[in-house]
Amino acid sequence: MISESEHRAVVDFLYREARLADEGRYAEWEALWTDDGVYWVPASTDPAPDPDRHLSHVYDNRSRIATRVKLLQSGYRPSQDPPSPMRRLVSNIEVRKAEGSELIAESNFLLAELAVQAKHEMHVWAGARHIGCAGWTARCECAERRSC
Amino acid sequence: MSEPSTEPISYDALVQDERVHASLYTDPRIFADEMDRLFFRGWVFIGHESEIPLPGDFVTRPIGTQPVIMARAMDGQVSVMVNRCAHRGTMVCSEARGNTRTFACPYHGWTYDLTGELLGVPYPTAYDGRLDKKTKSLGCAARVGSYRGFVFACLGPTSVTLEQHLGVATGLIDRACDLSPEGEVQLTAGWVKHRCSSNWKMLPENDLDGYHLGFVHMALFKSVRTQYNRFTGDEKSVKGVVRDWGNGHTEIDWSPAYDGPFEWFGTAASDVVGRYVAALQARDGAAVMARRVFEGPPHALIFPNLFLGEMNIAVVEPVGVEESVHWHTPMFLKGVPEFDRRLLRQSEAAMGPASFLLPDDLTITGRNQIGLHSRRTEWLELSRGVHREHVDAEGRRVSHLTDETTNRGFYRQYRKLMTGA
Repeated sequence: MISESEHRAVVDFLYREARLADEGRYAEWEALWTDDGVYWVPASTDPAPDPDRHLSHVYDNRSRIATRVKLLQSGYRPSQDPPSPMRRLVSNIEVRKAEGSELIAESNFLLAELAVQAKHEMHVWAGARHIGCAGWTARCECAERRSC
Repeated sequence: MSEPSTEPISYDALVQDERVHASLYTDPRIFADEMDRLFFRGWVFIGHESEIPLPGDFVTRPIGTQPVIMARAMDGQVSVMVNRCAHRGTMVCSEARGNTRTFACPYHGWTYDLTGELLGVPYPTAYDGRLDKKTKSLGCAARVGSYRGFVFACLGPTSVTLEQHLGVATGLIDRACDLSPEGEVQLTAGWVKHRCSSNWKMLPENDLDGYHLGFVHMALFKSVRTQYNRFTGDEKSVKGVVRDWGNGHTEIDWSPAYDGPFEWFGTAASDVVGRYVAALQARDGAAVMARRVFEGPPHALIFPNLFLGEMNIAVVEPVGVEESVHWHTPMFLKGVPEFDRRLLRQSEAAMGPASFLLPDDLTITGRNQIGLHSRRTEWLELSRGVHREHVDAEGRRVSHLTDETTNRGFYRQYRKLMTGA
């Protein structure tokens, strides 16, 4: 069993992560990642996707996460110039214990992005996330299944 | 958008040698003509044999706006058929890929085999023997052809063979396949689709545009060193050429700017690369091997919808006059599975909605689409470098990397097919 305070800390972490991303606070967002962090967004519909065999949307190691942030902060990306207003709604949070002190958080999200760079289209993604939290402010892996 | 006109469309007037008219990107009547003349009566890329290696394997995807199935029959032959029940028009198969013996329509259970032949219908007595099963197949493509595993189809009637359509551009496909020690590429990683709010032609035009790199992709070049950084900066220092191979097939060749082998791959130093080089050399000899690993893969359009994007294969899917989808998958080299992981990561960096290049390209094409609604200025320029291109010994037009020789080549073929010349 996890304690009330452990659960609360994980929920706070998920909300904070979403807020930093929503507000484009990428330096703070990036600091949430541990050195062995992997940010994975599978593209395959395979029930057990393999990032070494199947193409993913994102499969970033820590170094590529840094590159991703660097590009966003460069001021030269037409796809984020101006930045998209966006909001993530995080819900259905379930927390369980993994090995040692690590916790696993499962959650659903709904992300709405107004793509103001061209035709002002609203992009909406829904999906599920699986995050391993190595501490209260860091995580070692994150897998996102975007279902639409 | 301008009011729909009932005037006949003159493609000779709209597609000129050094400029094209904006209505090519905004007029639904022109889109309908394109779906008929390019994507129904013309040859288009449909998929790769490695996607359906076994009898019974199939994939479903669009050709233009039509749903099709590409399947491998029990005799090993590849068939391409329309994904539409002969009874009431239902899309028969909704799986993206799979393995089956038959396709059964979910509406009334009409069942077809892997070549599209109608096997049977439920309660057949009501047809009183008048249902001729031979005329009720899933409509097969008039022609299907394969070149080194790349499957092309022409759904409607045509007098043009695949060999004639590809012409000398088979050399571009060869350049890709010959990088594999076994002479084959494999498209087995699955496809990522990226929706785009622009006319489909903007995608191949942008893919073969060597002029935009230093502007649209500046974020990447300022953040990390890539093999493309050398194509920005002073015009005279930019090496690399564009080529028009005829029939709308066009190329950007980066290799004149390379200083050594494997610059297209990012690294030449590993045990795996050593074994790979030895395998190529055993097959081709030292000189040809050295040329292959120096030049790397093609960056080329096979007209109208297949982009050989170096170590990626991409396809443009027209959806509507102002909407398209860009599909991509990494190009694995058969015989060196140790490269797959690197190629996956490179593919994810280059293409798809979360990548470091394509979102910027497709944002710009979306902005083009908005701008093209202007009535005050109606033409798009295509004249860049027209005075300095030349014809090489193989009959290909060649010019500076940043010149619009490629897109002039695209539109020569476009005009030919659209006018029926």
